[in-house]
Amino acid sequence: MSVGSIILNFFAPILEFIAPLIPGEIFPYFFTMELFQRALIASLLVTLVAGFIGRFLLIRNLALIGDGLAHVSFGGIAVGIVLGSTGPLWYALLFSIISAILIHEMQTRELLTGDASIAIFLTGMLALGLVVLRIWGGGIQTDIEGYLFGNLLLIDEASFDLICKICIIALFLIIIMQSGLLVTSVDPIAAQVQGIPVRAIGLSFSIITASVVVSMVQVVGTLLVTALLVTPAATAQLIGTSFRSTLLWTQFFGFISVILGLYFSAELETGSGSMIALVAASIFAFVAISQVLVKPLLQPTDNVN
Amino acid sequence: MKLESAQTVKVPVLDVEKLSVNRSGKQVLEEVCLKIDEGEFVGLVGPNGGGKTTFLLTVLGLLKYKKGRIELYGETSPSRNTLGKIGWVSQAAANIPSNIRLTVKELVQLGTLTASNMFWRFTAEQNERVNRAIEMAGLEEVQDTNIFHLSGGQRQRAVIARVLASKAEFILLDEPLVGIDRESRNSLLQFLDKLCHESQKTILMISHDITAMQQASHRMIFLEERIRYDGESSCFPDLADLASLRGIQSVHQTNYDEDKLYQISNIEDKK
Repeated sequence: MSVGSIILNFFAPILEFIAPLIPGEIFPYFFTMELFQRALIASLLVTLVAGFIGRFLLIRNLALIGDGLAHVSFGGIAVGIVLGSTGPLWYALLFSIISAILIHEMQTRELLTGDASIAIFLTGMLALGLVVLRIWGGGIQTDIEGYLFGNLLLIDEASFDLICKICIIALFLIIIMQSGLLVTSVDPIAAQVQGIPVRAIGLSFSIITASVVVSMVQVVGTLLVTALLVTPAATAQLIGTSFRSTLLWTQFFGFISVILGLYFSAELETGSGSMIALVAASIFAFVAISQVLVKPLLQPTDNVN
Repeated sequence: MKLESAQTVKVPVLDVEKLSVNRSGKQVLEEVCLKIDEGEFVGLVGPNGGGKTTFLLTVLGLLKYKKGRIELYGETSPSRNTLGKIGWVSQAAANIPSNIRLTVKELVQLGTLTASNMFWRFTAEQNERVNRAIEMAGLEEVQDTNIFHLSGGQRQRAVIARVLASKAEFILLDEPLVGIDRESRNSLLQFLDKLCHESQKTILMISHDITAMQQASHRMIFLEERIRYDGESSCFPDLADLASLRGIQSVHQTNYDEDKLYQISNIEDKK
C-alpha cells in the first residue's frame, strides 16, 4: 500500500463526514469523489509545507525562488515528456534540485545576488522547455497548459503518492531543522561561530524547497507557486509579532486561501490555481489595507515606521 | 602532569603571532602580534579599512590568513569545545534582516543552539540560560516584544544577550556602539564592564569611538594594518602623538597662538 492511499484512506471518511455541511453545488464533490478528494488533500498538504518554507524564503530574500524553480520544473517536465517518460515529475524534481543547489552556491559565493541568479535559471530553463517541445513535442499542448496553470484533475494516483511522500518528508525535515534554519537566516556568520553547519543547512533547505515546488506545480501550476509559497507568509508578516505567531498566521491564511480558492473555482468553473492565487492575493491586499487604515485610528500618535 | 601545567601556566585566551592577511589582493593586516589573557577588556580601535573587522573574522576562522599563527585557548585549530567558548556579536544589530518577526526571547534562544542540539526542542537548561541572559541584559520587560520595536540600545543589548545565552567566555563585539544614543551607550558600556568583572568574561571590542573605549576598556589597541599602539587605556596617546604613530604629517600650519576656541559644551551643563 502506498503512502498516498494510506493518507487518502485516512482522510476520506472525515471528508465524507463533513461533506453535507459544505455549501455550493460542485464544491461538495471535493469531499465525496475520490478524484476531488485527492485534489483537496494534496492542496492542503502542499499549503501546510509551503507555509513552513515560505517564511524562511521571505527572511532570506528568496521570495521569487518558488517562481524560478517552478519554471525550471516546467523545463524538466518538457524534457521528460519528449524523452517519452511516463513520470515527467521525476525529471522536474531532478532539474529543480540541481538548479536550487546552483542558485544557493552562487549566492553564498557572492557570484550573483538572489534575484539575478533566479532570473537566469527561470528564463533559461523555461526557454529550454519551450524549445524542446517545439522541436520534438507533438500534440501535447493540453498537458502543458495544465502544468503551467495548475489542474487538479492532473493528479492521478501516482502523482498523488509522490506529492504525499515529498510533503511528508519535507515537513519532517523542516520541522526538525527549524531552529537551525532560523539561526542561519538571521545571522549566518554568528551561526557559523556557534558551530552550526550553515552550508549543510542551506543546501538541505534548497533541496527541500525544490522538491516542494515540484510537488506544488501540479496543484497551483508553474506560474502560481509563489502564491502559496510567499503570499500567506507575507500576509502573516503584517500581523505577526513573534516568529511562532507568524507561522500560525501563515498556516491560517494558507488554508483559507486554498479552501476559498477551491470553492470559487468549483462554483465559477475557473482554474483552481489561478483562483487560489487570486484569493491569496486578495487576502493580502485586504489585510494590508486594513493595517494602513485601522492602525492610525487605534494609535493616532504612533509612527508607522 | 598536563593538568598541573595548565594550572601553573595560564594559557592566554587569544595568542596571535605575526599574522598577515590579504583581502582581494591587498594586504590588510601585516605581522600583527597580540596576546589577550582571561578577564581582559580590550578595545580595538582604528580607522576605517584599518583591518579591525578583518582581524576578528580571521581569529574566528572565517577568513584565511597568509602568514602567522592564531591560538585560541592554546589550540591552533580549535576544537568544537573551544569554539563553543567564543561568542561573536556582529557589526550593528541592524544586520538582522528587517522582514523577520522575532521577539527578544526568540532571538536570545538562538544563542543556545549548537550543532548537536539544533534538531531538538529547547531544554529546560537552555531556557534557564535564556532567562538569565535576558535578566543580565535588563530586557525582562520587553522579552516578548518584536526586536524591531526596540530602541537601538535595547536591540544591541538583545544581540549581546544572545551571546550571553551561549556558553561563550570570550566575547568579540564588532562596533556595538554604532547607531545608539548617548545614554544607551553609557549603559551598554557599564553592562560590558560588569560582564567582564562579575561574570569573568573576556571581551574584545571594536569601536570607532576612541573616547568611549578609553573610559570603558582596560587595554586599547590601535590597528591600522599593523598595531600602532597596544597598552593600558589610560596611557593611550593624545591626538598629536597618535598622528605621529600613524605617520600622519601636519598639513595645516598655524602661526598665531591666540585663543581659537570657538565653542565648547559640557553635557552636564544642560541638565
